[in-house]
Amino acid sequence: MNLRSYLDLYSLLQEDTSTPEERRAFGLSHVTVKDKPIEQLLAWMEEHRYQLKKPLLSEAFSSTLYSVSLTLVAIAFVLGLLSGIGLLSYNGHEPVNVIYFMSMVIFVPLFTMTLTLFSMLRANSVQSLLVHISPAFWMERLLQLLPHKTQEDLKNLKVNPLLANWIVIKRSQVIALAFSFGLLCALLGMVATKDIAFAWSTTLHVTPEGFHSFLSTLAFPWRDFFPWAVPSVELIEQSQYFRLGDKLSEEMVSNASKLGEWWKFLAFATLFYAIILRFLLYLLSSVGLKRAIRRSFLSLEGAKKLLSDMNEPIISTHAKQNEAVFRQTESLYSNVADSLDASYDLVLGWAIPKEQLTVISESMKVIAPRHYEVGGANTLEEDNEVIHLSHGEILLFVKAWEPPTMDFIDFLEALTKYVDKIVVYPVGTMQEQYRPREKEIDVWARKLSTLNHKKVWLKR
Amino acid sequence: MKAAISTYPKFAVVGHPNKGKSSIVASLAQDDTVQISDTPGTTTKKRSFPFKVDGKILYELFDTPGFQRARKVLAWLEQHDVSANKKHEVVQQFINQHKNDPQFNDEIELLEPIMEGAGIIYVVDGSRPYGEEYEAEMEILRWTGQPSMALINHIDETDYSEEWKRALGHYFRMVRTYNPMSANIKDHISILESMAQLKEEWISPVKASIKLFENYQERMLQKSSEVIAKLVYVSVSVVEKLPIPSDEASDEEKKKIEDNYKNRLRRLEEDTQKKIEDIWNHEHLRKQQPLLPFKGMDLFSEESASIFGLTRKELLVTAATSGAITGAGIDLLFAGHTLLLGAAAGAVVGTVGAYFGFNELSEVKILGKTLGKHYLQMGPMENRNFPYILLGRAIWHTVQVAKRSHAKRGVVNLAMDSSFKERWLDESLRKSLENYHKKFRSGKELEAEVLNEYGKLIQKILEGLIGNEGSLKQLPDTH
Repeated sequence: MNLRSYLDLYSLLQEDTSTPEERRAFGLSHVTVKDKPIEQLLAWMEEHRYQLKKPLLSEAFSSTLYSVSLTLVAIAFVLGLLSGIGLLSYNGHEPVNVIYFMSMVIFVPLFTMTLTLFSMLRANSVQSLLVHISPAFWMERLLQLLPHKTQEDLKNLKVNPLLANWIVIKRSQVIALAFSFGLLCALLGMVATKDIAFAWSTTLHVTPEGFHSFLSTLAFPWRDFFPWAVPSVELIEQSQYFRLGDKLSEEMVSNASKLGEWWKFLAFATLFYAIILRFLLYLLSSVGLKRAIRRSFLSLEGAKKLLSDMNEPIISTHAKQNEAVFRQTESLYSNVADSLDASYDLVLGWAIPKEQLTVISESMKVIAPRHYEVGGANTLEEDNEVIHLSHGEILLFVKAWEPPTMDFIDFLEALTKYVDKIVVYPVGTMQEQYRPREKEIDVWARKLSTLNHKKVWLKR
Repeated sequence: MKAAISTYPKFAVVGHPNKGKSSIVASLAQDDTVQISDTPGTTTKKRSFPFKVDGKILYELFDTPGFQRARKVLAWLEQHDVSANKKHEVVQQFINQHKNDPQFNDEIELLEPIMEGAGIIYVVDGSRPYGEEYEAEMEILRWTGQPSMALINHIDETDYSEEWKRALGHYFRMVRTYNPMSANIKDHISILESMAQLKEEWISPVKASIKLFENYQERMLQKSSEVIAKLVYVSVSVVEKLPIPSDEASDEEKKKIEDNYKNRLRRLEEDTQKKIEDIWNHEHLRKQQPLLPFKGMDLFSEESASIFGLTRKELLVTAATSGAITGAGIDLLFAGHTLLLGAAAGAVVGTVGAYFGFNELSEVKILGKTLGKHYLQMGPMENRNFPYILLGRAIWHTVQVAKRSHAKRGVVNLAMDSSFKERWLDESLRKSLENYHKKFRSGKELEAEVLNEYGKLIQKILEGLIGNEGSLKQLPDTH
């Protein structure tokens, strides 16, 4: 898992067209990475990498990052080299004050490394001031202003801010390392090619013993292994320099060959403070970047959905196939009876018991010699007997709320062969005083229109 | 009999025509494609609704046509004088003999799944009186020998369920009441539990289905919250740009960018609503809502602001307190050496900002002058009330969609209830939300974690309104 895989996944998620079913199938078929989201994403990416369009965004980004980093490293090295040469320049009149060089290789690195540690702690914040004051951040911004073809491809790339912070932090360490190497090279080069008289000078009241003790403390990492790389009290005494009088002391001149011994301490100080410690920070930033990549993997747009599609079961409750569209016919039925006659030859009730039928007839003020229940609990034979008895004009009460079934239509068809007229009268419930609802009558009208028999009338 | 073919439970929803079988199936299967009408005979073919998890069927529901010639079928069956253990074979014979007989098409369609092992769910309308004509249907079902239960549906207000229960008790071991139009998840699960009891070997798979179904509901809430969180963030932070030829923008250009900006926000809201409807399986929802025209109960009007979002007073209080919190952060940083001046200053800055930010959407800025490419820019959203309006509308919409029965086919009216705001937004929540809205407004890149936290906050709101067990709290029915 690295920046390239992060960018490949970023590109894949942008272009991915896989269905939730395909993603779930992937999740189910890769049981070894189950419950390991990062591994799942990596496995998914590997399997779908072929979909990536070339040139790969990750390659373009890495190449840009590499070239920008290389340029910055080269600049930093040259700056370090020039700074070292400048600090170690010796014109033959005044010795080189080691405190300047020490500041550059010990105190400045310690200060910037402390800032780096703080910036690492604050790297999770989107707008980290400590990250934004890094020279790497601004040098990159300046480089971006230069015309560059690949930057056009990367214009729309949105790298996670957390990741961007860690990239800057890590790159800052490389640049600082290059700068320190520049300083070390300058020191070694100058020492090898020139005779440098090192001295130390300060306005503060520091005794040679006190200064020795301070230097010995600074040299704690190597003093036991390389005691010759720690300046002795004698050397410190001999190399203390005061500018007053604009003239070197006799003692210094007589010990000129010894003054050069300082370089060992300076070389070890550079090696330890500016290079080894910085390298440790570099390693730390690499770990931080790796962790940031892990975290950024999960916050990539679409990654959460991809994981959820992979890991959550697909639940479906829908029908297997679409239903044929039902077309409702108009409820226009032309054989409509607006009123009832005073009497009928027979009153029938479809699934209405005889006693209730009589009550309904009375309430409708309809007289008929006989009342029969049909349908309902009757057998088909009983219905047939009623049909054979029927003649003339028939009033057929039906329960308005019970939709007409084909059983009813069969009965009606059979009845039409024996009678002259059938008035189908849908009635409401007793609680509704037998008044039907309009939409219920519409249902009956639609059904009767399928039969469309001239003898069949509907009472609305 | 082919009952042993499949191992998972099957349930056939059968009954008299037009008694709400399809409504019950639509509700239980959460499928809004089922055709439902008050015309008998809408369902002409049996239709399968499998509950599938990763393609594996855990149980299957069948919607079937209603009985049309029950007495004829029963008469045919009764011609065969057989012992009780052979009756189901007679039913199978009936199916075999009349498979191609159009007059028994509906009966064949409904009896087939039963004879293939489906449990029977016999549906009646408890709002209409019991009638003897149902007895032939129930007798036929008894002949099949399959486990059965009756469901009393209530299509209307009137209640005849007592007389139905007395009659159904003679034919069915279990009689339950279920109204698909008002049932919530709790009712749904309760019916599934009853269905599981029909056969001992069905208990375990149906219970597993119930567990998955509950998880499914929770995921719906979570997905909705994520979608809403993204809507608010994107809408608040979105920036609309319009290239212009000169360094001065005309009134038309300013109006154009404002219209583009508003339309973009509306599209974002529409897209989110569609996503939420899809999450809750309401892909075919027809709705009415006072959204598109910028008038009346508009997203941007002060009237809507007071209903959906915060009133000016609430906004001032929220801004002042959240400003003070930022100020207090400064005090903390300097270990209180600022004598709490930071908090006071933060409160003042917040309040002033809120006062001026009530009506303004976003300033129209002319940018790019120095680079020679002129364009107008509108956004990120400066109106402090806007995120509350948008969030309130999104929550209301989600609650309405989640609450809506899949058996309903009418147009849903999404006009918001004026008291809704009080039901989800209180003082402490307002402060929490404001901290997020401030981040959204800043225009800076947002950490994914912040959006996740915001989504979780919304999920809590939705859970509070919809309920952990899916039982929706009392909300007025707007449809």
